[in-house]
Amino acid sequence: MTGPGDCADLNHCITCGDEAVPMRVLAIDETRGLGLCEDPDGARCTVELALVDARPGDDVLVHAGTAIA
Amino acid sequence: MRFVDEFRDAELGRALAGEILASVEPGRHYKIMEVCGGHTHSIYKYGLDDLLPANVELVHGPGCPVCVIPMGRVDDGIALARQPGVIFTCFGDMMRIPGSDGSLLDAKARGADVRMVYSPLDALRIAKGNPDREVVFYAIGFETTAPSTALTLKRAKAEGLTNFSVMCNHVTIVPPLRALLESPDLRLDGFVGPGHVSTVVGARPFEFVCADYGKPLVVSGFEPLDILQGVHMILRQLAEGRCEVENQYTRVVPYEGNRRALEVMAEVFELRPHFEWRGLGFISHSGLKLSGAYADLDAEERWPVPGVRVADPKACQCGEVLKGVIKPFECKVFGTACTPERPIGTCMVSSEGACAAYYNFGRFAREREVV
Repeated sequence: MTGPGDCADLNHCITCGDEAVPMRVLAIDETRGLGLCEDPDGARCTVELALVDARPGDDVLVHAGTAIA
Repeated sequence: MRFVDEFRDAELGRALAGEILASVEPGRHYKIMEVCGGHTHSIYKYGLDDLLPANVELVHGPGCPVCVIPMGRVDDGIALARQPGVIFTCFGDMMRIPGSDGSLLDAKARGADVRMVYSPLDALRIAKGNPDREVVFYAIGFETTAPSTALTLKRAKAEGLTNFSVMCNHVTIVPPLRALLESPDLRLDGFVGPGHVSTVVGARPFEFVCADYGKPLVVSGFEPLDILQGVHMILRQLAEGRCEVENQYTRVVPYEGNRRALEVMAEVFELRPHFEWRGLGFISHSGLKLSGAYADLDAEERWPVPGVRVADPKACQCGEVLKGVIKPFECKVFGTACTPERPIGTCMVSSEGACAAYYNFGRFAREREVV
């Protein structure tokens, strides 16, 4: 299984620590408050955007599926 | 990528290492604790320890959330995973943490429906897709992760989902820091403060480290130059006789934190009177539970959990590693009976654990390298 924060990757694990990944916002679903984001390797996932003011094209710091900065 | 590549510049790193060397007092031994497991991982991944003068020692703190989960809480999780009809979801590393009778991965092999998720939102999605099953999310992590769980709980409530619940093991960073500072085992000169926890809580909560204990703390980022600069800022404070909270990670950390995250956490969580930490024992007001308004989504309210305190295996010295009293390679089972493939202790499980960082990046014995 691969994906952002894959724990099998020794170099990174966003899911279990005080670690976060910079991602770019590609699109925002305003009704659900969720964004489609892409990490530097091109992997995409849905991200909770409620804690930040982000627009498509912005870089956000994502931890456990939530943009925290 | 912007704000990443610039902070991995080898030439600048070497220049910074030279400045660090120039700022230390010969004959004085400096002991600096990096609180966060993400820092520990970066330090060994990039070999930053080797760039520091011999008299600057980095000590690894309790900031890996997987590592501080005690065996009893793993057993509690397994008890929930074994409930009929339950889909038990958790982060990947959590699945391999040993309890007293195996891990969640072992429970899965024995028939429990345990699934790995990347975020609480994934667990919520599973709940929506399985309305006839109960979905439990095993929440772990410091203030970095807690807002994510809180937002998911708010969504679950707003959407009226009744088959979703959370077993909350979130912890807060300040109480264990204070416990470490009170410990007679440690003599520390300063702290590299946690970068992403501070993104949420800000740098202000760490002011007590200076005010009450007279130690400088520099909140730092996770790239090699971030950490080197953080160490340099601590050494400069010591050289100049200053003691302050400084923020090296200004590109991400606001001094007052993320207001929205703090608000949602305050709404969804409340402090437990005490919470057990592996290696550190019970620490008052250091763990979070769901607040009264969200008690109906609390897995521990839906099912009984054993709640039994379980002692660590005798051979395991994770407690001493988490307190920075010993280095991972000084543990009797490091790299022999305890490896990332077959971990005995939590610090060998997560890639952010100090033992796993030493093992994966070849720091089997510092003494041997010096000889």
